[in-house]
Amino acid sequence: MKKTLTGIFAASILVFTACKKDDVTTTIDKTNDGSFKVFTEGQVTTVQNLIADTIVGFLPSGQPVGANKFTFFSIENNTLVPSSDSATARWDIAFKGTTIITNAGTSGPGAGGAFVQIGTFDAYTTIPTDSTFRTDANPVYAIRTGSGKGWYNYDGANNLVTPLPGRVLVIRTASGKYAKLEITNYYKKGITPSASASDDEKLHNQRYYGFRYTFQPNGSKNF
Amino acid sequence: MKKFTITSCLILGCLIATAQDKQKDDTLFHKELNEVIVTATRNERKLGNIAVPVNIISQKTIQQASSLRLKDILQEQPGLFLTSGFGVGIQMQGLNPDYTLILIDGEPLVGRTSGVLDLNRVTTGNIKKIEIVKGPSSSLYGSEALAGVVNIITDRSYASKFSASVRYGTYNSLDANINAGTRIGKLGINAFINQYNTDGYSIRPYSVERSKLPISRTTPQLQLNYPVSNKTNISLSVRYNYEQIKNELAVSNNGTITYSNGREINKDLNINPTITHNFSKKLKSSLHLYATRFEGSQKLSTTSGEGYDDYFLQQFYRAENQTDYTINKNISLVGGIGYLKEFVNSSRYDDKNSRKENEVKYGFLQTEWIPFKKLVLIGGFRYDNNKVYASAFSPKIAARFNLNDKISFQASYGKGFKAPDFRQLYLNFTNTSAGSYSVFGALEAQQIIHTLDAAGLIKQYEDDFYKLQTLRPEYSNGFNAGFTIYPVTKLQWKVNVFRNDIKDLIEARLVATRQDNTQIFSYVNIKRAYTQGIETNLKYFINQNFTADAGYQYLQTADKDELQKIKAGNYYYTRDASNHSVLLTRKDYLGLPNRSPHMATLKLTYEAPAQRWFANVRAIYRSKWVVFDKDGNGIYNKQDEFAEGFVQLNSSAGMNLKYGFRVQVGADNILNHVDANNLPNAPGRTFFTTLTYTFSKQKK
Repeated sequence: MKKTLTGIFAASILVFTACKKDDVTTTIDKTNDGSFKVFTEGQVTTVQNLIADTIVGFLPSGQPVGANKFTFFSIENNTLVPSSDSATARWDIAFKGTTIITNAGTSGPGAGGAFVQIGTFDAYTTIPTDSTFRTDANPVYAIRTGSGKGWYNYDGANNLVTPLPGRVLVIRTASGKYAKLEITNYYKKGITPSASASDDEKLHNQRYYGFRYTFQPNGSKNF
Repeated sequence: MKKFTITSCLILGCLIATAQDKQKDDTLFHKELNEVIVTATRNERKLGNIAVPVNIISQKTIQQASSLRLKDILQEQPGLFLTSGFGVGIQMQGLNPDYTLILIDGEPLVGRTSGVLDLNRVTTGNIKKIEIVKGPSSSLYGSEALAGVVNIITDRSYASKFSASVRYGTYNSLDANINAGTRIGKLGINAFINQYNTDGYSIRPYSVERSKLPISRTTPQLQLNYPVSNKTNISLSVRYNYEQIKNELAVSNNGTITYSNGREINKDLNINPTITHNFSKKLKSSLHLYATRFEGSQKLSTTSGEGYDDYFLQQFYRAENQTDYTINKNISLVGGIGYLKEFVNSSRYDDKNSRKENEVKYGFLQTEWIPFKKLVLIGGFRYDNNKVYASAFSPKIAARFNLNDKISFQASYGKGFKAPDFRQLYLNFTNTSAGSYSVFGALEAQQIIHTLDAAGLIKQYEDDFYKLQTLRPEYSNGFNAGFTIYPVTKLQWKVNVFRNDIKDLIEARLVATRQDNTQIFSYVNIKRAYTQGIETNLKYFINQNFTADAGYQYLQTADKDELQKIKAGNYYYTRDASNHSVLLTRKDYLGLPNRSPHMATLKLTYEAPAQRWFANVRAIYRSKWVVFDKDGNGIYNKQDEFAEGFVQLNSSAGMNLKYGFRVQVGADNILNHVDANNLPNAPGRTFFTTLTYTFSKQKK
């Protein structure tokens, strides 16, 4: 009898807390199940599993290659942009393997640009007036490619790419507004394979970007 | 109250028993203090006069552990950490295998791969004892003796004796030894042969891939001794080791299965003639000639047509004179001069037919001074004049103070060095699998990269490219201090605190990137680091038959430059559980990778009266250790990837039978801890049985 009562009591708590939660926030499914997802909480928008030219084959040398296509994304609208719009100002940032471009210079017709700032995402609240935005000049991009140069580290012995911790990508959108962005992971489900994982696992789960950003729609440099 | 009475009775009883045993136990400890060690001072000294941390492993200990290869017994010693990759090496005082000199009867073994001398190459079948000296010993031994020295003393008994043993165990592992000694007139002869075969094992389930490959090793050794007169003695030792490792693999890549067939053959030859002459009771001089060569070849043929043929040959020739002079009861000197020449050929250098060479001339001097009975002072230095790199001066001072029969203190300081090896100067290696990268030795990297650049193959020079220059030796300053106490007669407690400050550490750094984004590495003297810790050992003779022996080491390490940046702040970041960047704090920092901060050993031994039979249980503990910079911040911290900590439990029991036979059985890794990636050399649970026959003419 006592057991049943406790059971009922516990169940009512569950119902109660569940109701309460629903009342406060609209349900956001934040679980990272490997699918592409965008959700916003307060000022911060999180993107999971943005597929960036995943590996489709190998060169005769054994080097893995993708289809050589960028995936375009609009920071202002929190959505993917079809590649047919690549020559427009509808996108702000695009990804292909470890290469990240912004909509300006050799990459697009927008007023974009970027630079990499060392520090934490939360602590970066204002873009100083003397900051200089770079623009893409293929093959040199505003966000540098190469291990340890821009946003990532590549470990050749273990064949793993990790976003450098403490790097804020400061982005100027195609329309000339500002955003700060942090790459959180380069692998599917936001989980970097262990160093001892098979090459197969490492290759087939890479090029799935996880990142978060804060966009300032009023055009100011404060976040 | 009742309990109290019983307890006090027990204690009292113990005390009485202790008092009665005292005589016997004292002899036990005095026996230990009177034990002779040669490695610490290059001459025979009692442990009671040694001022540096040492560890002696007896033949009995090796036999009771039923060790087969050198690594088996070393891994059971406190503070020694086995490393895998390029064979099995040991970390001593937190320093890599590169920094421990491995000697057989005082002469160095050569043939290291990536700085590691594979401890599997040495059989324990004819080891009389192993002497381990911790802390820099370059003042006596020169290069490589930076963390310490392991000296394997082989059995050189020339009395008429014959012994044979066969051990068989899991994975068809067979180990057989024959050891025979005799005298023909004045000539003493000792012959030994060991044969070891194993099928190897796979610790990846459902895989034919072998973690440890089928191996066959043969080690014959012949030792001759001829006393020309009662003052002059000539001896000769010839040792050979042949090993063959088979590797048959099936690799599936995008549906295509490639079969490969590999053969690795390593040959190791050591020849060591020595002549010793006693000019007087006070003056003794010896000439040691030593020639050794290590030849390794690895051939791999595959069905896809790819493969490789790797070749390595190192030759080492040395002549050394050592003179011991006892000035008086309180002062004695050891001095010596030597010349060595070394050659290396490798297919991993520009051309395997181009022979790289090095030459060293050296001299050393050591004084032992006993100003009064309780104090021993030792000071010495060695100077190495090196042809290819800068010369090295290695001083050392040490002191031991025996306060009384129960307490002694010791402290030492020494400078150690390790000369850059041939690989760091001449390597020319490109790995085409696993991400693809190249490593070029420091002497040739700049030129090779410039040539590649001229051909338009270089994308960019990295910062460390501009640091490439002639390599210098790596140096350490090592401090050791400790005490030995017998708090009660049955208990021995040893403590040693150590600190090693190392500078000019040579490390492979990214120096350039090719157009196809593959990385080029080379070697630079770049790192400063320290290792420090405490090692303690407790030995308890529970009674005449039962002994407990426990060891523990706590280790801290750091790269000094990294530490400096962490302390300054705002340089290193890591990630929290939700992958968000956070600033790295000092307490997150772990220092050098692949090191367990906590290591412990525990050994319980029971020996029946008159040595009828024995049984032991040996446990080895290693706390988890960091293996991979998972957060990509370039340093090792708590957020990175770890290998799991573990306890390995081994046990063995043996019995002496009639007619010189002895039987022993045992099980290793009873808890069956396996980790294919981080402990490829540890198979699962294995069992064995050994049968030994010994025939000796008893001296009357």
